Amino acid sequence: MFLFLIPVLLILVVFIFYFYSSLKKREKEIIKEREESTRHLYELAILKELGERTGYSLNVEEILQIITGSLRQFIDYTAVGYVVITPEKLKINTHIEKPVSNLFIKEMKDRMVASLSALTNKSLDTFVLDEIVSGAIVVDEIKQSIGSLFNIPIVIGGKVVGVLSVAHIDPGLYKEADMTILYKITGQASEAVTRLEDVVKMEKGKLNAMVESMEDGVLMVDPEYRIVVANPAVKKIIKFSLSADEGKDINIFDFVDSLGGKFDIHGRLEEALVNKHSFVSDRINIGDSFFNIGVYPVLHSPTKGGSQMLGAVAVWNDITRDIELERVREEFTGMIVHELRSPLDGIKKIIELAVSGSVDKNSDQFREYLNMVHQSSSSMLELVNDILDLSKLQSGKFEVNKEEANIKEVVANRISFYKISADTRGVALVANLNHNLPELSLFDPQAIKQILNNFLSNALKFTKNSGSVVVSAFVYDPLEFFPKDLDKSKIPVFPETTDINVKTASLCVVVSDTGLGIPEDSMKDLFHTFKQARLNPVDKESKGTGLGLVIAKGIVEAHGGEIGVVSKEGMGTSFFFTIPL
Amino acid sequence: MKKILVIDDDQFFAKTLEGALPKEKYELIAAEDGEVGLQKLKSEKPDLIILDLMMPKLDGTAFLKKLQESTDLPKVPILVSSNLSSVKKISDVMAMGAVGYVIKSDESLQSIVQDIERVLGEEGKKE
Repeated sequence: MFLFLIPVLLILVVFIFYFYSSLKKREKEIIKEREESTRHLYELAILKELGERTGYSLNVEEILQIITGSLRQFIDYTAVGYVVITPEKLKINTHIEKPVSNLFIKEMKDRMVASLSALTNKSLDTFVLDEIVSGAIVVDEIKQSIGSLFNIPIVIGGKVVGVLSVAHIDPGLYKEADMTILYKITGQASEAVTRLEDVVKMEKGKLNAMVESMEDGVLMVDPEYRIVVANPAVKKIIKFSLSADEGKDINIFDFVDSLGGKFDIHGRLEEALVNKHSFVSDRINIGDSFFNIGVYPVLHSPTKGGSQMLGAVAVWNDITRDIELERVREEFTGMIVHELRSPLDGIKKIIELAVSGSVDKNSDQFREYLNMVHQSSSSMLELVNDILDLSKLQSGKFEVNKEEANIKEVVANRISFYKISADTRGVALVANLNHNLPELSLFDPQAIKQILNNFLSNALKFTKNSGSVVVSAFVYDPLEFFPKDLDKSKIPVFPETTDINVKTASLCVVVSDTGLGIPEDSMKDLFHTFKQARLNPVDKESKGTGLGLVIAKGIVEAHGGEIGVVSKEGMGTSFFFTIPL
Repeated sequence: MKKILVIDDDQFFAKTLEGALPKEKYELIAAEDGEVGLQKLKSEKPDLIILDLMMPKLDGTAFLKKLQESTDLPKVPILVSSNLSSVKKISDVMAMGAVGYVIKSDESLQSIVQDIERVLGEEGKKE
């Protein structure tokens, strides 16, 4: 009976054993899984924390301190440290968790530096070492040396900048998994720093590009007067040429020498660096140009308060153009004053004659004097009106009152007005109105008359006896160009399609003469304020200030049209304007 | 009878001056710019030139220069009359051989006539 039980018992034992062992195995697996997931969670938590803490730091050391500080949460170590390479020195920071000997620390340091040297392929013997040891006490009696150690390279922007090291007195402690986590952590931190550095580099690049392309000269020095920035403009100003001074770095004395006694650059920079004083100079003449030189302190004010002196900047602001404009303006004012003073003086002198009684009031001479007074006052009034229009144009207060009007009537009206004047001069004045003109279109008839007055009086002024002036008006279509039946046969100089740049169908009025023509170099200034072409009219009465064309331009632009001129010396001139339909 | 050549693009000035000068003593010739002035200087041989500065074609300063450089043009006293009143301008034209400078709008016709008579009187004494 019992014998029968033995195999059953055996089977049961085997079964129980098998069951137990599989249970045990399963339990092990569960523990392992749990360990892994715990580690994984840790890893995630640490990465997240690191991400948050290092996210906005650019300082590698600061980041490494954060990493080493968080490490003990998931890795057991005796000491943790890092070495970071800077241009001048190696910064070594070791934190010991449990007391160790100096020998241990030295061995750890040597292994970190050796690893960094191998990774950077550089001998680091010449570097000054900057060492910090913190944490537990150093006890030389402890003879234990390093049992386990692993190094993680710190890579920023593809370059090895340091090594992070974890060490323990027990041997064979660190597994692949530990290292992987640390790799991940440092990898993430490096990536963050690289990204930030890229942003900073890009921003710096933008700033550099901006300073480089600036027309103003920019010079920045550090507190020791070493030049940090000298853009091409400033080098040009002080005539520092790269070819002549090759191999030679620009320094503050190049500026001192170049400015001579005109501007105390060194003194002003010193004022900025020492007393934080800003300064802007009066006009300074260097070569053919004029500058205002501003000198300002450059302070860095982090949010934490307090400011750090980074240096001083000097900016050469080229004011040559302003001075030129000022001169042109003065000339213009001088001309206007002359134009007003001459007729006024004429009137005064005629009155003086009349009052003195030396001229008989019934004589032809006296009547001539009265005519002269009339002419003088009319021309002054015209000039004053022009100046008023001009000032309205410049202040943007010039208004056009558009209404439905007939351009054919306006042209015909002006032609009949100038007919007498043209006849006296022996100049043929004719209209050339195309049948494609609409009966009514939208424009300011008074303003358009003003333009025609200007164009026509100019054309008559510059056209000799037996010449001709033709006023052509038509609709110009940018797709079909000039109307096919437009008669240009008697006009020597007429705008081409390339001279008219309208985008929509427009009224186009062209006043063409067979006059003297305008020299090439005077053409560009014709429509510009203060710059009147000095042209010689055919007779002495026909002087002008040239303001009319500037005003005409303003009127046309207020209509959304364009104004232009084509001319050939000795052949004739055509002034034209367009008004969009 | 003295001949006075007025070179001025402002024809009113010549006309009013003509009205103010005693007709029995002076003959007035007008030229509207420096070029015409040079021609009339040769053809009319005036006793005095009244010269404006701002003129088309050949202006007053250029006219003075031409006269200075020329060897065959007659030497005639020149009274500059202009509305330009800068000290520099005045000293410049005086240095170029003008005998006097009248700022037109600052002086009455009567005082300009007196200036003319004074210059012609002094020139007369020299002869």
